[in-house]
Amino acid sequence: MAIVVNLDVMMAKRKMSLNELSEKVDITLANLSILKTGKARAVRFSTLEAICKVLECQPGDILEYVAD
Amino acid sequence: MSKTDNFVFWGLYSVAWLIFVGLSIEAGGLLVNFFFSLYNPEFIQNLYQKLDLIDMYQNSKLAFFGIYSFILIIAVLKAGLFYAVIKLMHKMDLSKPFNTFVAKQILQISYYTLSIGFLSYIARQIVKSLHHHGFVPNNLNQFWADSQAFILMGGVVYIIAIIFKKGIALQTENDLTV
Repeated sequence: MAIVVNLDVMMAKRKMSLNELSEKVDITLANLSILKTGKARAVRFSTLEAICKVLECQPGDILEYVAD
Repeated sequence: MSKTDNFVFWGLYSVAWLIFVGLSIEAGGLLVNFFFSLYNPEFIQNLYQKLDLIDMYQNSKLAFFGIYSFILIIAVLKAGLFYAVIKLMHKMDLSKPFNTFVAKQILQISYYTLSIGFLSYIARQIVKSLHHHGFVPNNLNQFWADSQAFILMGGVVYIIAIIFKKGIALQTENDLTV
C-alpha cells in the first residue's frame, strides 16, 4: 500500500510499548497491531487523533506516502 | 439468531441430507445400470425407474448413449448440488456468515444449478427432435422436468453470490478499519 504507517518509529521515540499505547488510546491490541504492521485499510480520524494525542506528534509523523 | 430461525435452519439441513441420499442412490443406480447395459444389453429393457430404452438402443446406439449420458450427468450434478448445500450448511457459522468460504459455496451452488438447467433444456430439445423416429419412450421427461425453474434458480443464486461477495469485501474493509 502507498501509505506507510511509522507507528513503531514514534513509539520507539516516546519509549512506549504497544500494550501501553493500547491502554492509553483505548484501542484493542489486535487493532493496533493491524495498524502497526501496515495491514489496515483505513484509519478513523478519532483513532488518529487519540494516537497523536498520546504520542504527542502530528499525523504526518505516523503516516507517510510512498509512491508504489 | 432466533430460536425459530435456528429450528428452520436445522430442519432444512436434515431435509437437504435426505434429498442428497435419495439423489445419490438415483445417480448410483443409473451408473450401475449403465455399466451393466454395456456388458448385457438385455438390461436396457429394465433400467432405473422402469425406463425401457431397448428400442432406442437397437435403432441408434449413438442416441442411446447420448441420452443416457445426459440422464447420468444431470443425476450426478443434482447429487453434487445437494452435497454443496450440505457442505455450506454444515460449515457455515451463522454468527459470522460473511467469509470467502460461504461466497465460494454459494457461487458453486449457482454453477451446479445453472448447469442442471441448461443440460436439462438441451436434453429435452434433443429428445423432442428424436420423437419422430418413434423409439423414444414417454417416461424420459422425468429426468429433465423443470429445466427453466433450475435456470431461474441458478440465476437468482448467482446474483445472491455476487451480492455476498460484495458484502464480504465491505466486511473485510470494516474489519481492517482501525
